[in-house]
Amino acid sequence: MVKYSFIEPRKKHLFSTFSKIWILFISFISLLLIAFGIFLLIKIALYKKDTVATNNERVALENQIDKKDNYMEYLLRQKSLGEEIYSRNTLLKDSMKNLFDLVPDQITLERVIIKKDSLIMYGKTPTKDTFNFLLSAPLKSIFSTSNTMFYLTKEGWYNFVSTNKITTTDGFSE
Amino acid sequence: MVSVSNTDKSLEKINIIKLLIFLSIFIVITLVLILALILPSIKHYRVYKNEYNTALFRKVKVQNILNDRVKELKKLQLDNRKVFDSFKHKFTEPEFVLFANKFFNKVTLKEVKKSLHKKEFKVYELNVTSTLKTPVNFYKFLDGLNHYQNMVQADFPIDLKSNGKVISATFKIKVFGLVTLEK
Repeated sequence: MVKYSFIEPRKKHLFSTFSKIWILFISFISLLLIAFGIFLLIKIALYKKDTVATNNERVALENQIDKKDNYMEYLLRQKSLGEEIYSRNTLLKDSMKNLFDLVPDQITLERVIIKKDSLIMYGKTPTKDTFNFLLSAPLKSIFSTSNTMFYLTKEGWYNFVSTNKITTTDGFSE
Repeated sequence: MVSVSNTDKSLEKINIIKLLIFLSIFIVITLVLILALILPSIKHYRVYKNEYNTALFRKVKVQNILNDRVKELKKLQLDNRKVFDSFKHKFTEPEFVLFANKFFNKVTLKEVKKSLHKKEFKVYELNVTSTLKTPVNFYKFLDGLNHYQNMVQADFPIDLKSNGKVISATFKIKVFGLVTLEK
């Protein structure tokens, strides 16, 4: 082979070291920026997913609150009705106690019918006055209307039927 | 002899034009990436982070409200256990007769009707016929009703008849129960 040059042929590089350094640097920075961008996109996707999940959890919690509220209202209605029942029993007891306390020893009760708005009493009294002074007066102060009928017995006593009515909406409670 | 050197002199003799070209390329690529990718992403990142934080804040707030409700509910149930248990307890006639026998003699029950009270409570009405020695027993019975295992209300009409020795009492009771249990 014939040589036309005094020097050996040198390998010619496409890029000089300077260029290579620059290309590497630019590539590295670009990759770094792209990686950071991808990281941000992943974080965004995660935040989106977490936001949807958190909102769903909140809605579920709100539904639970609604259920608890409804249940609490239901329990409060039970409590209210329970207290009303207890108070009616107590009131009825007190009313009956007061009624029997009203009756003086001279008068004997044979039958008492208590309805929501009326009281009917059957009994015996030695005299009409005893009944009128000792029992009729307090009854008249409690009831709106109070009527009594007397029947003379063989023994000289009086059988009576006292019908008393209340016109208020509360009914019998005294 | 001519020395043949493979050494690259590009680092020793920096070509300013090349340097400027590379610097320009670097700045352009960096700016393009920042403007096209990083800045919009950061903007979106902030928006979605704020959205998430708001959602989390709302959830925590709702969670706290729920915790408060649970506490209130437990307190309500604990404070009124007797009332709620009385509504739940199944009413049986033999048990009630056994209870009434503590105050009366010869207790008999007769069902009058079943109905609903405000659509949530079933009401079982019964007529009670009994005899007692003194009205005091009737007061004690009414007191005892408030401690009975069922929710029972003594109701009108009440008919007390005396034959000289004993009093026969006829009255109505209403037993309240639950139609459904809501949770």
